Amino acid sequence: MTSIQELLKDTKVLAVLALAIIELALVWFYGGAMLIPMIPVFGILTWLWKDKHITILALFIFVFIALSSFGFTYIKTGGEKFFYAGIDFSGGTRIPVLLDTPVTDPTIMDEMIQTIKQRASSFGGLGEIRVRAIGNSEIHVELPNSDPAKIAEVQSLLAQQGVFLAVVDGKVALSGDDLFPGTIGKIPSQYLNGNADWGVAFSVTQSGASSFAQIVNGKANYPLLMFIDRPTDSILLISKKDLTASTLAQRDVVITDDEALSLAKKSLELDTDPIELYLTDDFDSYKDTLVPKTNKTKAIISSNTSSEIKSALRSKGFTIIEKTDDDMSPKYSVSRSGPAASNSVNEWPAIGLLSAPRLVAEVTNGIPNYGYTITGPAEGTGTQRTINADMNARKIDSILKGGALPVQISLGSTTTIPPSLGSDFLRASVIGAAFALFAISLFVALRYRTPKVIIPIILISVSEMIILVAIMGSFAIDLASMAGIIASIGVSVDAQVVVTDELRKKDQIDPEKKLEKAFSIVMTNALVAIVAMIPLFLFSGLVEIIGFASSHILGSLLGVLISRPAYGAIVEWFFEH
Amino acid sequence: MVNKLERKIKTAYYMEIPNIYEGNYKLLIALPLALIVLSLFFIPKMLDNKGVDFRGGVFVTLRTNESIDTNMLKEKLIEAGFKEPTVTSKDMAGGSKSIEIEIAQDDRLARAEVLKVDFFDKLDQASLLESELLTNRSTQAEYNKARTELNAIADETFQIAGSNQRADTFTNLNVLRKSISESYVKINSDYQAKISATIDKYVKYDNLSSDVVSANLSQKFISTAVWIVIASGILTSIVVFALFRSFVPSVAVLIGAVADITIAMGAMGLFGVKFTLASFAALLMLIGFSLDTDILLTMRVMKRKEGTPMQRAFEAMKTGTTMSIAALVAFVTLFILALFTQIPTYTEISSVAIAGLVGDMFATWCLNAVIILWFVEKKEGVSHTHHSHPHGTHIAAAPAPKTSNLTSIFNKRD
Repeated sequence: MTSIQELLKDTKVLAVLALAIIELALVWFYGGAMLIPMIPVFGILTWLWKDKHITILALFIFVFIALSSFGFTYIKTGGEKFFYAGIDFSGGTRIPVLLDTPVTDPTIMDEMIQTIKQRASSFGGLGEIRVRAIGNSEIHVELPNSDPAKIAEVQSLLAQQGVFLAVVDGKVALSGDDLFPGTIGKIPSQYLNGNADWGVAFSVTQSGASSFAQIVNGKANYPLLMFIDRPTDSILLISKKDLTASTLAQRDVVITDDEALSLAKKSLELDTDPIELYLTDDFDSYKDTLVPKTNKTKAIISSNTSSEIKSALRSKGFTIIEKTDDDMSPKYSVSRSGPAASNSVNEWPAIGLLSAPRLVAEVTNGIPNYGYTITGPAEGTGTQRTINADMNARKIDSILKGGALPVQISLGSTTTIPPSLGSDFLRASVIGAAFALFAISLFVALRYRTPKVIIPIILISVSEMIILVAIMGSFAIDLASMAGIIASIGVSVDAQVVVTDELRKKDQIDPEKKLEKAFSIVMTNALVAIVAMIPLFLFSGLVEIIGFASSHILGSLLGVLISRPAYGAIVEWFFEH
Repeated sequence: MVNKLERKIKTAYYMEIPNIYEGNYKLLIALPLALIVLSLFFIPKMLDNKGVDFRGGVFVTLRTNESIDTNMLKEKLIEAGFKEPTVTSKDMAGGSKSIEIEIAQDDRLARAEVLKVDFFDKLDQASLLESELLTNRSTQAEYNKARTELNAIADETFQIAGSNQRADTFTNLNVLRKSISESYVKINSDYQAKISATIDKYVKYDNLSSDVVSANLSQKFISTAVWIVIASGILTSIVVFALFRSFVPSVAVLIGAVADITIAMGAMGLFGVKFTLASFAALLMLIGFSLDTDILLTMRVMKRKEGTPMQRAFEAMKTGTTMSIAALVAFVTLFILALFTQIPTYTEISSVAIAGLVGDMFATWCLNAVIILWFVEKKEGVSHTHHSHPHGTHIAAAPAPKTSNLTSIFNKRD
């Protein structure tokens, strides 16, 4: 018998333990999904070394890390849950948004997701909205809410474009209605003049052209503040830290706190509907005089603002719109050598300010013009520069189109599950999984009638279930993945039956050889099972059943690489003692 | 005493089943063939019994403790103008009921979807022509034509949305676009609101979950599913051919799998299991399950040498059925859970899996085995009668001397 001290002297054991510690750290940072790459790593190691102790140790490590991942999730969610559940179990609504033309460029897809997220969160009161791409022609929006009115709100938001507004010196210079959507487009690089790296052209209507000419008359070098969904009837509360956060990151921008404050205030000006700015640092000095203008006045604040300020605002009757610190920090564009009028906030997501190009002298002479271009420089060199130019152009293009999603989308589908039903489903599923384990154990017990087989099979089944729940629970467990996990247990026992039956054969063949034969069958079975299910991933998009396929495939992989070898080793160990 | 009983059960399990392959095994093929013919009869019914995933529409599940007149509810839904509604009531554990309401894809909704795509296709062109008009009058006719087409699409959308707007009153295309987007959303939300209003009016419930699948989404599901089936078929065939590198056994294995899926689909038709994404996934899983046993059989019969092919086939059958039963145990548990909870995903996956696993026993051990045995016999040029034993005699070879601890443990009790 090998003692623990001896085991620890073994370099292989030490290597595996070191891997386990790395893995534990990965799971802490990135969740139980990190167990997936470990399956082939440990699988290959155990296969190469053919060391029974390592094989068993590997399974033990997997179970240990899986259990730890539940603990990690529990800590990270503040004691709320041990794993993440999809709307099937947690309740909520899923709105699959179909894209009328597939989007193959990942950056465009990413922009669309960001656009949807940003616009949905501007609504407020919907809870945490999850937006993710499903293949290249579908985006899923999930909200933890099953109220039909809220769902309709989100649907209308998804179907419509944002409201484009361009402000110069506190006055509306252009609105979305003034632009011809069909004319907005990137200028091919050969038509760009001067030292511009990119350009976007657009045409404006007759009335738009004349009002624009009038408003910008004599405003050369002024910024054209381009907004999408600029908040109406709102005030903004910001900390000094957020106000100047970006000046620290942008090395070329050196401005004082006072300058930052005045530029920020300038960007909030609008004659018909200004947004007032307050510093949260001095909240006590003005809190008594602060009153909402209407019963719908919104207060835009960072989600990190102290809860006293939030509740004080709420009690005064403000509707709170929370933004991340990132969105709250304005980005400045300041040049010491250029004219002072051109200094401004360049980007401020919290108020929908997305870009601020400067007006060139030619357009500020008061003469209406139907066609305009916005051009600019790009960063980097070589292909990097081309990519950056393209990105900048696309951004302006999308802003002018009202933050429109680059392709048309269709709605009309929803899945709604009330939270109470979801928790019923979860309870039933947990009981079901426990019963499945029990039933299979009973069957195995009746079939083999020796604890030396029964105990290992039950041990392995429980381990696999724990590991699969940990992996699937790092994404979101739904009904389909639960069914897949229960099925995997059936398949796993299935394979152990093959191994056991092979070993039971009464002939002179060496048990090692028998194990090998059995494994060749088990491996083939797993291979076939995986191959049959893999197309579900190739044509992703069937989210409703992808959980089933994933847990089934993961179960097969886990079985063949980790738990079946461990089963062989455990059975052998049992017989040796 | 206990030991004796145990032995008896054990013996009953392993020993007293006669080897079905001794004698004229080719007759066995009649069983799966009959099942397949029967299944082919029921498959159209199964393909017809699509859930909302594949045919579009609305699927609402209510949980309630009250008793509900399903016929009345159905009548009311028809009265309210819903297409082909069905209402079924299912008992759950604890006396409460699960009411399932299904409504077919609404034609107007489907039409609105088409119109919306059309509108946005033509919008940019019309807008471009409009802007050209500012500087160049010669494109007037072209613009008028584009605008008339756009107006026709818009007017039809407005009509479906029940709004009395008229497209030709919009001077600004941006405003028209906004109105169309609004109408499109209104058509969808009005429809859903009408469903919940109708249900709320006649039924009291604890909670309601709904699944709405638009025509576009169901189309997408179908085409994706078709591609998955094709890819899965090709990939598994490649793997099987690579494994056996011999035509007849490979084809036999694939026939076994196809037969199994056919039987499972037939059973779905017979027992009215809905064809949904969940049951589709289960069918896909059956490919793996059925190939499992097929491969076990083929490998044991073709690649091993101990005993006669019939003995090897029978040994494989014992292992194979144990495997299938183990998997069955898991799915029967899931099925029982589904009976208590009426969770459709569980009902569909478990019933398809159960049907497939049972069907697989016939497909593998009566169809695939017959083909393989016939092939091996032909190849080896020996007739099975040379090796046949009277029914009920020993199946395995005589007890072997102990070779190691490992084997001896398994043999201890025999």
